[in-house]
This record gives sequence, C-alpha cells and structure tokens, in this order.
Amino acid sequence: MGEITILDALVISAIGFAIVFVVLIILMCIVLLMGLAADKGHVVTSKFPGFGKKKKEDEDAAAEETVAEQPLAAGTCGELTLIRTEERDAAMIMAIVADATDTPLNQLRFKRIERLDDAEVEK
Amino acid sequence: MTFSLASQLLGAAGSVDYGETFEGLMESTGFLNLDWGNVVMIVIACFFLFLAIKFKFEPLLLVGIAFGMLLSNIPGPISDWIYHPELWVGDEVASSGVVDYAKVLNEGGLIDILYIGVKTSVYPCLIFLGVGAMTDFEPLLSNPKSLILGAAAQFGIYVAFFLAVCFGFTGPEAASIGIVGGADGPTAIWLTKALAPDLLAAIAIAAYSYMALIPVIQPPIMRLMTTKKERAIVMKPTRKVTKAEKILFPIIIIIATCLFLPSVAPLLGCLMLGNLLRECGVTARLSDTAQNALMNIVTICLSVSVGATAHYTTFLTTKTLLIVVLGLVAFAFATVGGLGIGKLLCWLTKGKINPLIGSAGVSAVPMAARVSNLEGLKAKPGNYLLMHAMGPNVAGVIGSAVAAGFFMAVFAPMV
Repeated sequence: MGEITILDALVISAIGFAIVFVVLIILMCIVLLMGLAADKGHVVTSKFPGFGKKKKEDEDAAAEETVAEQPLAAGTCGELTLIRTEERDAAMIMAIVADATDTPLNQLRFKRIERLDDAEVEK
Repeated sequence: MTFSLASQLLGAAGSVDYGETFEGLMESTGFLNLDWGNVVMIVIACFFLFLAIKFKFEPLLLVGIAFGMLLSNIPGPISDWIYHPELWVGDEVASSGVVDYAKVLNEGGLIDILYIGVKTSVYPCLIFLGVGAMTDFEPLLSNPKSLILGAAAQFGIYVAFFLAVCFGFTGPEAASIGIVGGADGPTAIWLTKALAPDLLAAIAIAAYSYMALIPVIQPPIMRLMTTKKERAIVMKPTRKVTKAEKILFPIIIIIATCLFLPSVAPLLGCLMLGNLLRECGVTARLSDTAQNALMNIVTICLSVSVGATAHYTTFLTTKTLLIVVLGLVAFAFATVGGLGIGKLLCWLTKGKINPLIGSAGVSAVPMAARVSNLEGLKAKPGNYLLMHAMGPNVAGVIGSAVAAGFFMAVFAPMV
C-alpha cells in the first residue's frame, strides 16, 4: 500500500518543494507588508515631530526622574544608559563583550548602549 | 526433580504448590527468555545513554528515548507490563486500520498508555506550543528574506524522500524518512506516527541524533560551499520590530498558512498559539507554563514512549540502517540548499547577506544558528551572525511544518 514509482517521487518532490517556496514567499510578502505598515507609522511621527513626541519626552523625563530617585544597589558600577535598546539586547551585548574580551562581566563597566540607524552605521 | 521434591514436602503442609511456583518464577526471569536481539538493543540503549550523559547529545530527549528503549528490550514477560506493539502495529490494526483504544486501556502497559499521546499527535503539538512560547520571531520579522532561506533548506527533505523511494520504501515511508531533513523532532514524529508508525523509533532516533551532530555535519559543507571572503561578510543590524507586529504575526500566519495547507493546522496552530501567549503580554503565566512545566512533562512522556517502540523485532532491520544513512543525506542536502540560496541572495544584494546564515534554515533551533555564528566568527573575529541566523532558523521550523503538511495531504489517504 502506498507504493509509488521513481517518476512519481520526482514529481511529488518538485511539487512539494515548490509549495514550500510558494507558501513561505507569501508569508514573506505578508511580513513585508506588516513591516511597511509599521514604518508608515514611523514616517508619520518623523514628518510631524510634535505628533506623539511631547508625550514620549514627558514619559522619558518622568522615567529618568524615577530612576534618579532610586538609591544605587550595593557593589554597582553605576548607571547604564540604554538608547533605543531593550534590556534583553543590552544583556546579550554585555555577555558578548565579556566573552570576546575574556573578562568577567563584573569587571566591565558599561555606560551607554545605543542602537544606531543604518545611515549612522554607514557614517 | 528438586522442585517436585520440595513441592511434595512443602505441599503436605499447605495448599500452595511451591514447585510450580518456583518453576514459574524461573521461567519468567529474563535469563531464560534472552535473545541476541535483546542484548544488542540493551547495548545500543546504553550507548545512547552514554552519548547523552557524557557528550550531552540532545540529553533532554536522548536520555528518555534510550531509557524507553532499554525498558522495552529487557527480555522476559516484563513487556507484559510495559509495551504491546501488537496493539499499535499488529495484523489486526493493519487490517482494520483502526487502533482499539478500549483494548489499549484494558490490556495496555505503562508505555501503551503514554503512547496514546504520540498516536493522537498530542505530544508533538504540545511540544510545538512550548517551542512557540520560547521562540522570538523578531529576527525573522526584521528580515523577511529569512523565509526564503528557511524554504531553501527544506531541499534535503525532498532529496531524501526521492532516494528513499529509489531504495524501495513506500511513498508514506519515504515521506517519513525525508522529513528527518527538516531537523525538527516533533514534526518528524507527527508525520511518522501517521504515515509509517513502524518506523517511528528509527526515525525519531535518527532525527534527534543528527540534530545533536549538526556542529559536526554542517561546518565542512559550509566551508566547501563558501569562500572565506563570503564568510567574513558583516551584516548590518536589522530594523526594530514593533510590539504590534509581534502580536499580529502569529495570528496572520496561522490564518494564511491554514488557508493554503489545512493539514498543517495542528502543528503550526500550536506553534503560533505558544508565540501569541509569549508576545501578547497578558498571558505571562501561561507562556511560562508552556515554556517550562508543560514542555518538560511532555518531553518525558514523548521521549520514553518513542524510545520504547524501538523493540528489537522491529528496530534491528536493514530498514533502520537505511534510515540512518538517508537521514544523514537529508541533513547534508538541507545545508546545501540553504547555503545555495544564501549565496544567491548574497550575489543579488551585492554582498550584503552572509551566505552562512542560509545553513541555519534547517530548523534545529538554535543549534544551526549557533553553528553559522561560529563559522562567521572563525572567518572574521567580531562577525556575530547569531541574530541574523535566527531568522532563517525559525523560518525553517515553519518550512518543515509546511513540508510535513504537504506530505500528510498527499500520503495520508494512502495509509
């Protein structure tokens, strides 16, 4: 039951591989569209700098004040500023630096981790 | 003689026939029921345990698989209490095409009960739920071209499928063997239990063993197919993905994929549900359970029950040897496919994409991405490709699920 010829196998392989490509290319298009929609939102905020920025600045200032009010933990090397970087990514970067320099993490001091745009990287 | 004398002496005092009792006990020990196949399987099981414990070869799965294999191959009527292959792949089941679950519950042993989860696809799907909850799709969302690399790396599946048919396997069996090239254990188990249940143990063991051997299998192929200049390409940081994109991704993907290939719904549905639990931000407890407790419980049940199906009567065959060889071929060609399209994309983008990330399209999250990263670092210190390789890596999970769904749609009616 289920015996197939070599020719059948060849045809099924070709069709199957093509279907995987088609489905994943469609998914790629969907993801691209989602990304474009997200970027459009970004463009709107950059064309109209006042749109939503004031509120964000207020939030950032409030967050900074909250942080400044908190006492530093014992044994800390001081504060680390994260700019457009999530804590998880920062932790990964710090671990990579510690590994690449072969220095224990508690002997390194990070002051600022900033995510650069493509244009800034090219500069 | 001794037994009958003892029986006469002791029998006079009571109603128990000690002679018959001792004879029965002797006959039920493993020593009198030992077969060469049992010995070979026990040695193989111990070898797998050694590999898992000493060399950490996929230990979370291989320890359970090897122990299940050990349990079901101990000679004697221990199998009466553990596993009954005839309940799952016997002549009665083959002729009717239906498993009698009432009989399984009445007469089955421990592994038979656990095996219900494999047979009904519950375990592979729950594993995918956990995988989804553990997977961050951000690298894929920030670089959608990763999906092409994830598709290209499924090349090995179809090469192995074609070769398996050439070697005389039936279509459903060849499909189950080919899916090993997807480097995705739950997907391989999900497809094999439906299309070729008698090959389940061999295929599961081949899939997980080769996944553990990815750091050995892939690097020579990667160096053979790429130049040092290509391997040293430093890729630009990818764009930032918004929270809304991460939440919408599993919802849109499951709708789109299931519209094209409904047979893939159980696997991808669980993968995307797990990811939604992770990303939506309001189900942290469920996400935590899916990633840890549930995943661990299902892994134990799945590995032990799959291992126990490797009884020597069905495992020690030339088919198993062929599956092992074809599995290696599948992995090698999957790497070749990913690297080939990686090179093409590198050429099309004028050297902006490092072709090494293509080999990560063979699923095996995150091992294959780590191998790409390591080879990038060897070619140029500081060339960290991990985040770039994670895109094709998670795309490979979707790609192999789609390939399995296609095989299921084609061959399930034939079984």
